[in-house]
Amino acid sequence: MNLYDFHVHPEFSEGESSIEEIANRAKLLGYKGICFTTYLDDKNKIKKTKEIVSKLSKKIGIDIFIGFEARNASELERLIKLRRNYDVLLVKGSDLLLNRKAVQTKEVDILTHPEYNRKDSGFNHVMAKLAFENDTAIEVNFREILNSSKNTRANIMHRIKNNVELCKKYKSPIIICSGAVTYWQLKDPKVLMSMGCLLGLELNEAKKAISEIPENIIKMIKERQDEKWIRPGVKVVR
Amino acid sequence: MKQKKLKILMPTLREKERYIAFKVISEEGEEFTYSDLESAIWNTMLDFLGEEGVSKTSFWLLKDCWDQKKQIGILRCNHKSIQDIVASLGLIDRLGDNRITFKILKISGTIKSIKSSTSKKG
Repeated sequence: MNLYDFHVHPEFSEGESSIEEIANRAKLLGYKGICFTTYLDDKNKIKKTKEIVSKLSKKIGIDIFIGFEARNASELERLIKLRRNYDVLLVKGSDLLLNRKAVQTKEVDILTHPEYNRKDSGFNHVMAKLAFENDTAIEVNFREILNSSKNTRANIMHRIKNNVELCKKYKSPIIICSGAVTYWQLKDPKVLMSMGCLLGLELNEAKKAISEIPENIIKMIKERQDEKWIRPGVKVVR
Repeated sequence: MKQKKLKILMPTLREKERYIAFKVISEEGEEFTYSDLESAIWNTMLDFLGEEGVSKTSFWLLKDCWDQKKQIGILRCNHKSIQDIVASLGLIDRLGDNRITFKILKISGTIKSIKSSTSKKG
């Protein structure tokens, strides 16, 4: 089984650890691939990041992807225009309108922590249906649970459980990520799977959330980077 | 006077045990003792699962299986609470002033097989 963590922030994003440290730790923990997530500050960042990452991927021997996380609607639109140039498009959840837009957009791969900084779960049955139709994975973020404690942790876990239940009912894809900002926050895949089980997933669903769902995203990445691809649902046949 | 021992339960009535082998990954050169680790795990588990939750897990950290040099240990729980224990281990990110993380090496039903696999991996 190939295991992936698709939400890791290195030092060129909001993280604290270098990409080498993170990639080495991911390999030690048994991951097949990781995705470095960052924010779009300028267009040149995509090219630069791609060069650094491809060298590192060969050196360490794990698959490394580049993901951009949109923090607001305008950033999301800019990223959609540049969609072919990078691997994964994530949307930072919390704002209701942005959560809705993320699950409505075919180009978006992952909606990260929809319940982040909210008093409700930030996700409802309408969004769950849309996420299923557009194949947008809903993220269960481990860092949110790790960095909180006592009543805050209990509340966060309750909201995540609600979201997981909705996703299961409407068959929307769920992905479990560490959301790490340092290499110490990268966790063993079994830990992520176990947390998924505690949050309401069955063991096979939890396994799917760290292997099959990321593999589907990788499949889409390859399809998108093919010359015949034009836009979601449209490609040159002959 | 010698204390009378309990009659051994039939296998079907016994609790189904699981053994989890783990490795503590820490900053270079750090070696933790059994008591450091035991208190960290117990505190986190009591915080996360609560007293009643921990009572359901039949958790036990095996003292004689803790290898301080390799930083490899084995813990025991019942077969229904593997997920609770592994998730709790993931929530431990500090031991004293040091940052740590756990790598799960193997989960097994017998101590014999887990010991042989950890000796190979270690």
